[in-house]
Amino acid sequence: MKNAMLAIIKKDFRGVTSNKNQFSAMLIVPLVLTILLPSVFVFLIHFVPEDPDIQTLVELLPPSAREGNLELTVVGLILNFILPAFFLMIPIMTASIMAASSFVGEKERHTLETLLYCPLSVKQIFRAKVLASFLLSMMVSLISFCAMLFVLELELFFLMGSLLLPGLNWLAVLLLVSPAISLIAVTLIVRKSAKAQTMEESQQSAVFLVIPVLLLVAGQFTGILLLNIWILLVLGLICALLAWLLLRKCMARFTYEMLLT
Amino acid sequence: MNAVALENLSKTYAGGKQAVKHISLTLKPGEVFGFLGPNGAGKTTTVKLLNGMLTPSEGNCRVLDMDPAQEPEKVHALSGVLTEHAQMYDGLTGMQNLTFYAAVFGIPAGEGKERARELLRRLELTEATDQKLSAYSTGMRQRLSLARALIHRPRVLFLDEPTSGLDPESAQNVNRLIRELAQKEGVTIFLCTHQLRYAQEICTRYGLIEEGCLLAEGTLEELRGRIPAGTRLLIRAARMPEGLPLQHTGETQYETAISQDEEIPVLVRRIVAGGGDIYQVSVKKPSLEDIYFTLTAKRKEAAK
Ligand SMILES: Nc1ncnc2c1ncn2[C@@H]1O[C@H](COP(=O)(O)OP(=O)(O)OP(=O)(O)O)[C@@H](O)[C@H]1O
Ligand SMILES: [Mg+2]
Repeated sequence: MKNAMLAIIKKDFRGVTSNKNQFSAMLIVPLVLTILLPSVFVFLIHFVPEDPDIQTLVELLPPSAREGNLELTVVGLILNFILPAFFLMIPIMTASIMAASSFVGEKERHTLETLLYCPLSVKQIFRAKVLASFLLSMMVSLISFCAMLFVLELELFFLMGSLLLPGLNWLAVLLLVSPAISLIAVTLIVRKSAKAQTMEESQQSAVFLVIPVLLLVAGQFTGILLLNIWILLVLGLICALLAWLLLRKCMARFTYEMLLT
Repeated sequence: MNAVALENLSKTYAGGKQAVKHISLTLKPGEVFGFLGPNGAGKTTTVKLLNGMLTPSEGNCRVLDMDPAQEPEKVHALSGVLTEHAQMYDGLTGMQNLTFYAAVFGIPAGEGKERARELLRRLELTEATDQKLSAYSTGMRQRLSLARALIHRPRVLFLDEPTSGLDPESAQNVNRLIRELAQKEGVTIFLCTHQLRYAQEICTRYGLIEEGCLLAEGTLEELRGRIPAGTRLLIRAARMPEGLPLQHTGETQYETAISQDEEIPVLVRRIVAGGGDIYQVSVKKPSLEDIYFTLTAKRKEAAK
């Protein structure tokens, strides 16, 4: 049965990447958030250091950190405290698009019924599909992170003549918070998928996940809440627990009958 | 062992519609059972009940001695299903679709490909092997769906309108395939349709369903026995003597109902003895269509 589930995962991957619209929708957010946005920050800091926003950021720093290369310090601040918050949009977006296409999309195209006639239980089919969405979301997140780092380091090297290592915050974001948030997004979509008739309808159910992320971003800018590794770890654990509970509850409810009617 | 058994099976949908009402039936292995009834009779609902997609409101059913409501995965492993709402992936080619379902049914990749190729050949889709499904016509899709339902060599096949959308030639080809499966491989076939002529060509037994109720069940002969004045004798003759129990239906056409073949020579002798010239004598047995209309009309009268 492992192979059967693997076949479903592979098919779902192919399904979302072969649909040009979906694929480009899925790429735009990561491109903006990991390439465009960091570059804008770096260029702003380098060429317009008197920007009031940046001044506020600098004032937030402990006095000891204000010495040395101020530009690099500020970029480091942005890299390790602001960008991780933005970054969380990526798993949410990717997971929602993929889950909507894999669950509701199949229902829309009348292929779900065919899949239900196969010798896998509803739970196994769902597990394969949740896994597919989750894996894709993780892959896109990781690739986005690498791309961001690459571009950022390149810019830093040429503009400021130095490199900057990402902090521990990123480790927590990549390994804990973003997987947990992906799972939550997938589960919300799956929960909605039994009733939703169109993909757009089901995608809306994950949209409100973006709100806490936006709050986090805003909080970071105003300095109310400087993300540190501990806050991230706690946040990640809470999200992971929530994801697990939601997923379990939602899997237990599914039957053939409710999916087809 | 029965291949398929329904026992007092009923299904009421969540909205309150009772689509299947106390149906009891059994199918022997290798049988081609025609499940016939008008639109909305409850045919598709029955197929879904037999595959565990719906849970019975009353009674139960068994497929190869397994309860589809309890262990649907096991039933699915041994049964193939073709319904109008079981479509395949538009973005994949015919071959890719079939190999995907082969993998889902746990068939090793190499063998899956071989079986897919063989089925595509038998259903005359070889040329469309590497075409995307989006470029298939309705009839091609229908045939590919049949190939999909057969990919895991099921012991029981549920076909819901298998020839809808097929041209006469493809329909005949599909008929032949179904008959071969039943005769050579002993596959049991549960075939839903309202194309009665088509059903008469390949089914060995029938069940007539209307508004969820099973009206009658049996072989064609058995069903013929259930309607009065079933068989008709048609005679074309001139100078017909008076006083014979014949209806005059055309210039030289006469007709009467008979219950046994033995009545024919008696009648013919009387015509000849009376000086009539017989050009043609033929027996017209009621077709499935006649039986169907007679039985449904009977039920309507009973309802009044
Ligand atoms: N999901 C559903 N919810 C409520 N009622 C339903 C549902 N599906 C079917 N019905 C009703 O159940 C009855 C039987 O439907 P079914 O689809 O089994 O008919 P059918 O014999 O397959 O007809 P057709 O020849 O048109 O395919 C119909 O009256 C239909 O309106
Ligand atoms: Mg139907």
